[in-house]
Amino acid sequence: MSNRLKLTDILVTIVISIGFGILYKIWGPLYYAVKPLGIHIDQLIYGMWFMAATVAFLIIRKPGVALLAEVAASSGEFLMGSEFGLEVLLYGIIQGLFAELLLMAFRYKRYDLLAVSMAGISSCIGSLILDFYKGYIGDLSTWNLILYMAFRFIGTILFTGVLAISIVKALEATGVTNLVRSSSQKDFNSLDQ
Amino acid sequence: MNISFEESWLHKVNPALKLITLTFLFVFVVMIHHLNDMITFTFTVSILFFFCTGHSYKRILLFLIPFLLVFFSTAVSMILFGKGETTLFKLGIVNVTEESLFRGLHLGFRALVFAMMGMTFVLTTKPVLLFYSLMQQLKLQPKYAYSFMAAIRLMPIMFEELQTILDAQKVRGVHSQKGIRSLLKDIKSLPIPLLSQSIRRAFRIAVAMEAKRFNSTNERTYYYHLGFSIFDLLFIGYFILMISLGYLFATEFPLFPVTDVRY
Amino acid sequence: MECIASVNKLRLKFPEEKGLLFKDLSISFQEGEKVLLLGPSGCGKSTLLQVLSGLIPQSIDIPIKSESIQIPYSWGFVFQDPDSQFCMPYVDEEIAFVLENLQIPREEMTVKIKELLTTVGLCLDDIHTEIQTLSGGMKQRLALATVLALDPEVIFLDEPTALIDEEGTAEVWDTVKAISKDKTIIIVEHKIDQIIDVIDRVIVFTHDGKIMADGNSTYIFSNFKEELKRFGIWYPSAWEEYKKEKVQNTLTKHSDSLLRLENFRGYRKKENAITLEKAAVHSGEWIAVTGANGAGKSTLLLSLMQLLKTSGDYRIDGCSIKSFADLNNRAYFVFQNPEYQFLTNSVLEEITYELRQRNEESHADVFKKANDLLTIFGLKDKQKQHPYHLSLGEKRRLSVATAFIQNPQVLLLDEPTFGQDSKNTFKLLELLQEESQKGTIIIMVTHDLNIIHHFATTVWKVKNGKVITDWKKDDMKTGSEGDVYEYIF
Repeated sequence: MSNRLKLTDILVTIVISIGFGILYKIWGPLYYAVKPLGIHIDQLIYGMWFMAATVAFLIIRKPGVALLAEVAASSGEFLMGSEFGLEVLLYGIIQGLFAELLLMAFRYKRYDLLAVSMAGISSCIGSLILDFYKGYIGDLSTWNLILYMAFRFIGTILFTGVLAISIVKALEATGVTNLVRSSSQKDFNSLDQ
Repeated sequence: MNISFEESWLHKVNPALKLITLTFLFVFVVMIHHLNDMITFTFTVSILFFFCTGHSYKRILLFLIPFLLVFFSTAVSMILFGKGETTLFKLGIVNVTEESLFRGLHLGFRALVFAMMGMTFVLTTKPVLLFYSLMQQLKLQPKYAYSFMAAIRLMPIMFEELQTILDAQKVRGVHSQKGIRSLLKDIKSLPIPLLSQSIRRAFRIAVAMEAKRFNSTNERTYYYHLGFSIFDLLFIGYFILMISLGYLFATEFPLFPVTDVRY
Repeated sequence: MECIASVNKLRLKFPEEKGLLFKDLSISFQEGEKVLLLGPSGCGKSTLLQVLSGLIPQSIDIPIKSESIQIPYSWGFVFQDPDSQFCMPYVDEEIAFVLENLQIPREEMTVKIKELLTTVGLCLDDIHTEIQTLSGGMKQRLALATVLALDPEVIFLDEPTALIDEEGTAEVWDTVKAISKDKTIIIVEHKIDQIIDVIDRVIVFTHDGKIMADGNSTYIFSNFKEELKRFGIWYPSAWEEYKKEKVQNTLTKHSDSLLRLENFRGYRKKENAITLEKAAVHSGEWIAVTGANGAGKSTLLLSLMQLLKTSGDYRIDGCSIKSFADLNNRAYFVFQNPEYQFLTNSVLEEITYELRQRNEESHADVFKKANDLLTIFGLKDKQKQHPYHLSLGEKRRLSVATAFIQNPQVLLLDEPTFGQDSKNTFKLLELLQEESQKGTIIIMVTHDLNIIHHFATTVWKVKNGKVITDWKKDDMKTGSEGDVYEYIF
């Protein structure tokens, strides 16, 4: 019952992330449809980019998964030729690190809405820090900046928290998550029936 | 990507070195706050993007369309709502100032440069060689490298699968309505079959890899050997030369009368 | 002969299941044996291969206990799904991956790769060929090549031909025969007529993971035929015996033509991908769509379901069909992978999904209908289960049942019997037959000549994106079996 990532954990995490990368392509048009309005409705959907991390963590439940998932999702997007280019890679690493730190603070023992929403919010803070440097968002007029951040936080909780939990619940119901969950001592003992 | 192109000198640059160089340049770009410097650097990257990837001009121009969209959408909210004192145009909540206009343009160029740098890398680097190079030059653990390569192989299969799932669910009346409502439904109905198939497939591949005696801790030989060559020097040299020239040019002949775009 | 692999008093349990899969199972294999493991699905044959190779518990985390396990010194494993056993995009890179694992020097690799490919009969112009462009049979032979790279004493084969077509199956078994001379081979397989002559030992399992019989193939097939039949194994004369029991499908003549097509074309990426000049289909007709891989069979079904852009005249029951909305539940498409179409968390919710969405009938009516169908389909006692937890056969039946409940006039199916055991195949075909006798048009992609012979009333052959419709099944019967085969492939 080691906590180190095995080949199966790594490959499943990466493929889940790539799966999200592909889903983003379907959901993406919505993002671009509202982005040029300038009043930041797009920020409500921004949270979906943090989702791969929490979904993968909820499935595999091991340290390092959230970070790996974000790195994989962003490199997947990068290698598919994203119009955001290199910046997705950097954002992925920072968002993953921030999510990972929060899950670590919970000692990787909490798999509930609170823990993953907090991890999402942590990613969100990471992305905002980058935005301050890269996008000069501090130079937006104050009301506009508040709208920007509020929308992003709300969206983050909806996607990385609520939606991620409901997706993983549905996946657990299909039984597929059993493949990657470690067997327990209890399972081992039950061999003596 | 399965498209024909000619190998250019950029293909021969060591992939790991190329990635690191571009990462440094990324940080460098974030530290450019002068619009004139930004424009000359955009020029530096454009030359590589337009003329040195070995892909046809038609294809390059096709890639450029979404980039321009990103340029525009990145610039617009800063132009319309950014802080500034010299008002050029005001209507309701919209307040375009000289400062916000230049800052918006600066951000647009920045986004454009990131997009072109990223695309130049993608167009001139085979993913498999990138991961072999990361293992050989940067000591990336093989279990990560091969997992990434396996996942990249799965990408087109998963794309096709998603299309099939969309069709299959449409038959059941899921994606028939248009608009936000059906989109919200999609958000719940699509991920489950896609992810459950993907998880199972990934798990099976990992087991198959171990059945082929893959062991991340063992020493291994490499089918592709990646080293360094004169092209690596050329690549780094190009940027050093062009950045210096660009800096000189921007100081001697500034296009815009602004220095620092930050407020 | 020496013992090369064995387990003694093996106990194994899947964490999510209640009972043990194996309880004190003991079995051993001798050097050079060619062994076939048979049994009903879910009896643990594949799991046993994974234990004997050490994949359980090394790579697959399932708790086991035993007094002793002997894992062969060197072994190779060919898995069922050709699409999920490779990690590299190109043929040469995949074999090189194994050579790298074995620390073979780089300079020797190319020669070795070419050698291995020749051994398994994969003659490619360029060894740097994309794996995705290979057929199923070629992919499984590539898997064999990677296994041979390990120079194994024992080769485990876990239903290597379950997901590939007839032609590929023959190629794979020919290759296995050619390479197996001095090796131990342990096979799990449902379609056994092509391997039976190389097998010298057959082990039959019961559904609860116990050994029912163990002996040479003549002994097993003469003494345990009834059991094999019950388990759904495709033993050599399965179809012949089934034919004796069942009456043939005869078309009850309906004079009306329910479905009409004229100059019908389907498009992929704006290119004409399938063309059907003219066809008139009567109600109750059962059309088998056949043709080589990539000829356009699935494209035809997708076009008829209006999931691709189409042009030309297409009418069902007199109504012109120009878009998906025009179909208005007159047609239904059962996809090959049933999981793609599952939307809910229980069998009962699944089968009632559309009717509940449409909300046209009373609650009680809907559930009465559902109950009746579930009983006919043998899913009554599973109605509370999650669809994903059903066996493959049950999943397919459920997806066909969700089609039946809506009474479509045209039912499209993409290889619904693919990879199924004989029991489930016959059951599903009979259910379809009943429906067609009620007047439903069945259009079904299949490669199986037996199905074409005994169930279809009409055959459409697809070749290079064109559908040839102008011959009836009766024409087919006049020729000898061989001619028919030639005509179809």
